[in-house]
Amino acid sequence: MKIKLELFGASRDFSNKEFLEFNIKQKMEIKDFRKEVINYLDKNFKGNENFIKIVKNSVFCSEDNNIINDDFKIIKDQKIGIIPPIGGG
Amino acid sequence: MLHTKIIDIEKDKIKTSIAEAFIKSSSYGASIIFNGTVRNINENKEVVGITYDSHDELVLKSFDEIYKETTEKLKIMEKAVFIEHIKGYVGLGETSIIIAVACKHRDEAYVLSRYIIEEIKKRSPIWKKEHYKNEQSEWLKGNPIQHEKI
Repeated sequence: MKIKLELFGASRDFSNKEFLEFNIKQKMEIKDFRKEVINYLDKNFKGNENFIKIVKNSVFCSEDNNIINDDFKIIKDQKIGIIPPIGGG
Repeated sequence: MLHTKIIDIEKDKIKTSIAEAFIKSSSYGASIIFNGTVRNINENKEVVGITYDSHDELVLKSFDEIYKETTEKLKIMEKAVFIEHIKGYVGLGETSIIIAVACKHRDEAYVLSRYIIEEIKKRSPIWKKEHYKNEQSEWLKGNPIQHEKI
């Protein structure tokens, strides 16, 4: 399955593009997808602790703009947004 | 009566005059216009501008929910609320957010205005990247979103 992870806020530093793409082999829950993202960052940014911290403190958002829990199941190709800690207004 | 909008600074402008016109179109007697602007110093660093990022759909959804809560929790039934927030780069002293409210009485107007800005700070997915005089920049750390409220 192809997951397009849309980047916002501090997570935009993960890529020059507005998203990251993941190919996952099996259905997985958000909590496992979070680990996939951390593994990707660990591998590509030499264990950048700040990046990993951002992912650990983020929530995720579905294509239909709902915040999703860690037990949300990814069962098809889709877009998911990463929502790092916020500080606007 | 609610107006909300994300202003992409590259395509549009944020204007207090639009908020004033919206508020005037309501029939309420007490109004407050809150303007949030980029300040010059943050944590002892000289700020020259801020880039705002937002998840537009979630932000607008949070504005709607906050508005509904002002009816359900604060029991402010009759009101006009205008919320616009920018997206993109704004320089020192420039406006990043306008919250305009109008109610029948001033007590309600103050409570309403304060509630809206505090809730936006807590739960609207908006991020700030500060740019400093020394040409460095950084995303502000912020607080993890309070999931159950979105």
